[in-house]
Amino acid sequence: MVATTAAAPAARPRRRVDDGVMTVGRSRAGTIAANTIGVIFSLFMLFPVYWVLNTAFKPPTEVLALTPTFVPTHPTFDNFLSAFKAQYFLQDMLNGLVVTLMAVAGALVVGFLAALAIARFKFFGRKGIILVILAVQLVPFIALLIPLFLMLQRVSLTDSLIGVSITYLVLILPYTVWTLRGFISGIPRELDEAALIDGCTRGQVFWRIILPLTGPGLVATSVYGFIQAWNEFIIINTLNSPAKQNLMAWLLQNQTTRGTAWGPLMAGAIITSIPVVVFFLIIQRNIATGLTAGAVKG
Amino acid sequence: MSVVETPATRRTGGSTPHRASGRATRTRRRRQGSGLPWLLSVPTLLLLAGLLGYPLVRMVVLSFQNMRLRELISGRTPPWVGLDNYTRVLSDSVFWTVVGRTVAFTAVAVIISVVIGLAIALLMRRVAHGVRMLMIVAMMFVWAMPQLVAAQAFRWITDSDFGVLNYLLDMLPGVHYQNHSWFVNPWQGWSVITTLVVWAGIPFLAITLNAGLTQVPKELIEAATVDGATFWQALRNIILPILKPLLTIVTTLSVIWDFGLFTQNWALRDGHPEPEYQTLATYSYTQAFGQSRYSLGSAISVITVLLMLGVMAFYIRQMFKIGEVD
Repeated sequence: MVATTAAAPAARPRRRVDDGVMTVGRSRAGTIAANTIGVIFSLFMLFPVYWVLNTAFKPPTEVLALTPTFVPTHPTFDNFLSAFKAQYFLQDMLNGLVVTLMAVAGALVVGFLAALAIARFKFFGRKGIILVILAVQLVPFIALLIPLFLMLQRVSLTDSLIGVSITYLVLILPYTVWTLRGFISGIPRELDEAALIDGCTRGQVFWRIILPLTGPGLVATSVYGFIQAWNEFIIINTLNSPAKQNLMAWLLQNQTTRGTAWGPLMAGAIITSIPVVVFFLIIQRNIATGLTAGAVKG
Repeated sequence: MSVVETPATRRTGGSTPHRASGRATRTRRRRQGSGLPWLLSVPTLLLLAGLLGYPLVRMVVLSFQNMRLRELISGRTPPWVGLDNYTRVLSDSVFWTVVGRTVAFTAVAVIISVVIGLAIALLMRRVAHGVRMLMIVAMMFVWAMPQLVAAQAFRWITDSDFGVLNYLLDMLPGVHYQNHSWFVNPWQGWSVITTLVVWAGIPFLAITLNAGLTQVPKELIEAATVDGATFWQALRNIILPILKPLLTIVTTLSVIWDFGLFTQNWALRDGHPEPEYQTLATYSYTQAFGQSRYSLGSAISVITVLLMLGVMAFYIRQMFKIGEVD
């Protein structure tokens, strides 16, 4: 026993221990198996994505073929064209942009102030506010849809882009506050204090230190807010008439009204997804840390 | 509501040492101006109160009234009916079936996705660099895909006439899946829905848990190896205990998300889920907006939130406990 323990440190440098966790029982056959499973898993995950792309570039006859082709034999952009030409598509795209941008801008301004309060001040009721912000993120929004609908109807804000914008603003607000809080508390307080000693006012500290340093955080937060608002369709579909929907709702209505034209639907789905996927890939580092942030102590 | 509502504190973290040092002096100074932080929070609080708090109260009130289309149009106060909605809902066997189905789906979907998520996270540490990159890229694409788009993709893949799934299964010897409809038999339909939910949920779980695995000290694993521990022993006695706080949180979140299932069964059933495909969320929605029984729908929503309350409280307590909320 003693011999084993003594020998271990000496043997260590020779063994390749690049990552600690899975070195137990590492064998050549095991590594090959692991890599194979990894590749199969990736292909399985990617298959639906690939199939959407594949379908979108097929002409109608190929889409509705009993023997599906795995690469379009006659690739075409027709599906994209017919999606653009479809009723409401461009209108819905515009609506979606308006609603999303208004919600994100509003949430950013309002949320930043609250985030500042939570991150930089100790005050009575702070914990209470944090509790509220965490809790409201968990309330299923669909549960609130009935009273919300009745409320907005009372003030004539149903079938209006403003009503939806405000709703989306509130939808992404808790997340915005919570994320910005994280970014602001990442700025060392010593910077604030040094500036105060050098004679800056509170306002100057905000404009010259906190705001510029939170820049990347503001981008990440607004992008994520954008994704959330852009992906929403239940609220807008319930509150608004067909002329005032967004692209997600278009995808849903497209299927019910005219049977399913799979080609244009998949093309529409791709167009709808592009901003989300691009934005997501840009900020994925921030998202990956997750609601779980604190559990991973770095 | 799809991806994750997440604070990105870790990225910018590293401020932990500051927090501890000199707290006493700072606290004293900050406490003086306790008006300013409240002033800064007022817009947020007003918006949350107006569009989340008030509807929440209204939802409860509504569940004790009888709001139908007539009251909606005339704007008159709906009549009070006391507990009628609740007795009606709770004595309805359809409701209990929906509750049972939602709970069962949540249990199955959460268990499968957490187990696979953990397995993939472990696998990511074992594979070659290139394969790991491939896995991450694949998962990022899935994660980025909007829920509704993913649901439409699955609807197309499982289409009875031209879906590629039937085509592929039909190629297996002895299997005849031509024109097979996946949603006639609810068990098969729910397998499709569960596959969709698990498939879409794995990226978050695997990538988060993989990040958590970097916290497992190499020395512990090495020591265990030297002492002759098998992989399963190391997993059970070293990795899982260290991963536990993170596992608890991602599991809780998965429960909350899966219990509120709406988009997937809604879209896969063309916006008209049959009784066998209703979950609590779609059931409440259908009652309210499909049948104009706003009060009954509210009562179902109230019960749904009450059912979830324990899990939500647990999640928030956990967030405070691990010190994320400081």
